[in-house]
Amino acid sequence: MNKLLEVRNLTKSFAQPLGASHMLWQNVNFALGYGENMSICGESGSGKSTLLFALGRLEDVQSGKIFFEGKEVTDEKSSNIKGIRYIFQHYQLVNELDVYENIVLPCYMQRCPVDAKLLKLLLETLKLESLQHRMPAYLSGGERQRIAIARALITQPKLLLADEPTGSLDEDSGRQVMDLLFYVCKTLGTSFILVTHNISFAKETNHVFYLKQGTLLNEEG
Amino acid sequence: MHFWIWKLALRYLFPKHRRGTFFTWTSIVGIAAGVMILCVVLSIMNGFDENIETKLVQINGKVKILSQKPIRNYTEWMQRLRLQAHILGVSPFVQGVALVQKEGRVIFPKCFGFDKKTVGEVLPFSKFILSDNGTYGAFIPKTVARELGLATGDTFDLYSPLALESIKNEVMILPQEIPVAGYFKTDWAEIDRDTIFFPMELLQEAYGMEDMVHGFSLNVDDRYLRSVCEDLNAWLPSNMHAYTWYELNEDFLHVLKMEKAMSFFVLLFIVLVAAITISSGLMTSVVRKQREISLFLHWGASRLQIVRLFCFQSLILSMLGIVLGLTTASMVLHFRNAIVQFLTGWFLPKDALWNFYNFEQLPAVWCWKDIALILAFSLIITLLASLLPAWKATRTSIIKGLRRE
Ligand SMILES: Nc1ncnc2c1ncn2[C@@H]1O[C@H](COP(=O)(O)OP(=O)(O)OP(=O)(O)O)[C@@H](O)[C@H]1O
Ligand SMILES: [Mg+2]
Repeated sequence: MNKLLEVRNLTKSFAQPLGASHMLWQNVNFALGYGENMSICGESGSGKSTLLFALGRLEDVQSGKIFFEGKEVTDEKSSNIKGIRYIFQHYQLVNELDVYENIVLPCYMQRCPVDAKLLKLLLETLKLESLQHRMPAYLSGGERQRIAIARALITQPKLLLADEPTGSLDEDSGRQVMDLLFYVCKTLGTSFILVTHNISFAKETNHVFYLKQGTLLNEEG
Repeated sequence: MHFWIWKLALRYLFPKHRRGTFFTWTSIVGIAAGVMILCVVLSIMNGFDENIETKLVQINGKVKILSQKPIRNYTEWMQRLRLQAHILGVSPFVQGVALVQKEGRVIFPKCFGFDKKTVGEVLPFSKFILSDNGTYGAFIPKTVARELGLATGDTFDLYSPLALESIKNEVMILPQEIPVAGYFKTDWAEIDRDTIFFPMELLQEAYGMEDMVHGFSLNVDDRYLRSVCEDLNAWLPSNMHAYTWYELNEDFLHVLKMEKAMSFFVLLFIVLVAAITISSGLMTSVVRKQREISLFLHWGASRLQIVRLFCFQSLILSMLGIVLGLTTASMVLHFRNAIVQFLTGWFLPKDALWNFYNFEQLPAVWCWKDIALILAFSLIITLLASLLPAWKATRTSIIKGLRRE
């Protein structure tokens, strides 16, 4: 049982007015090995984002257990789980900082030194070297997403949770970002879970899951 | 290490490659305006106060010994006083009121009798005298001259209170005929309005006081003013008492202090308004930055660090505002007379300032104690103003913030 992430019987529901509750998904089970990646597809509103937030302990669940690196983190504070980082559809960069400052910011907040070697590697592989001193506001969507990836990886997480990273990008730049994401995660041995509407991207991951009517189904199932 | 919080706070106010946001500059200018006006107004008030204090010393002497009854053997007292340590000069005086008449016009001036030989030891008396024709007579201010139609060399009639006393006893004491020896001007309005200076002997005669005086003015080494007074009061008989010039004018000086405190209080509202602007600006920024703040919290920033992030912003703003405010204040004070001349040149005739307000040059004294107070209050107010947005920032829900687009 040497898994990076293991999820057992995870159930999430939202309270509704008048005391009712809306079951979003239930009995979600899956496991992800070190260095593996997987994708989750599903209709809009099926609860994919919520599932990602639940895995990083940003969203509480009603029942079930989450194990990260063999340790149960179901009730852990999100800021204590340093091994999980996110990237989002809308990049969420700090507009007042330049590219370099954006990338190293998480190190300061996590009070860990910037790993210069890793930084150089990230800038090189994500083709950001020439952009280091530019402001995010003047960059393209693809460039911004690459910065977000570098920023997520600078603290050396074991698991990257990517919520529709190409959602705002056109076909070509989406392709480029995905290729880079696959490549850099492979280089660093980082696992990732990709939420996407793009089936061809999903197919490239080790495991493909579908979230349908509240249950997480394996590709085969 | 808070280094990165400072840096991030600075970047929020001055994004890289930009010279600060609109919010940054309006905040700085707001604080600067408050600090500048406070510094300028308080400095000028200090200047006027200092002028007033100098004047009070000039017209009173540094210490006055007053007695309930007229003091006999004043020359003997003078010798004894001169022997006391740190006393640099002693001069006796006689004071009271009288009725002065000139061709049917009557006034009731205050009368001050000075001792010609010694008065220079305690007061800058010669500075007060505008003209002196050398006769043995009184010095009058211009207003009295105008009211009675007197000029140097004329005479007026002096009726002392003794004359009233004598009427009861059905005796007639004739008024003294006093010549005007010249004009004086102390620049202290109250004295220049209705006081007449007499040679002391003239008043002693009028009041029937022979060799008695009402008190002494003393010149004392400033460093020992208080202790000299204390020593004197321990030593003087119980019906005599020594007062410093500031004890004599306690009420007046208290009013000046109150005036200054009130100005400070009222003008501080400018800083308060500027601080409220900062508060609302920061609040807007907190709301706009929910996504970022959520990310920071997710990355492991503590809530306290988020508080600092916003408090530091207001500290930076108020410090820059203070620097700008102090710079402009010192410039305004440096060119104050040019500014006053420029402004009055538009509205007022020449000399109007002197005639109405008794000054030509605006006095100003830069008092570091006041400045420190202004700075401390500005910093504290702006810091307090940032607490609400900072607290609001810590209430950010990570999940809500991250779900925002
Ligand atoms: N705090 C909440 N309270 C109630 N309902 C919520 C809450 N958060 C999310 N939901 C609901 O949960 C459902 C799933 O939301 P989620 O964002 O996970 O969908 P998604 O699968 O990511 O959709 P999309 O592909 O459009 O991003 C939605 O119907 C949403 O309304
Ligand atoms: Mg979603």
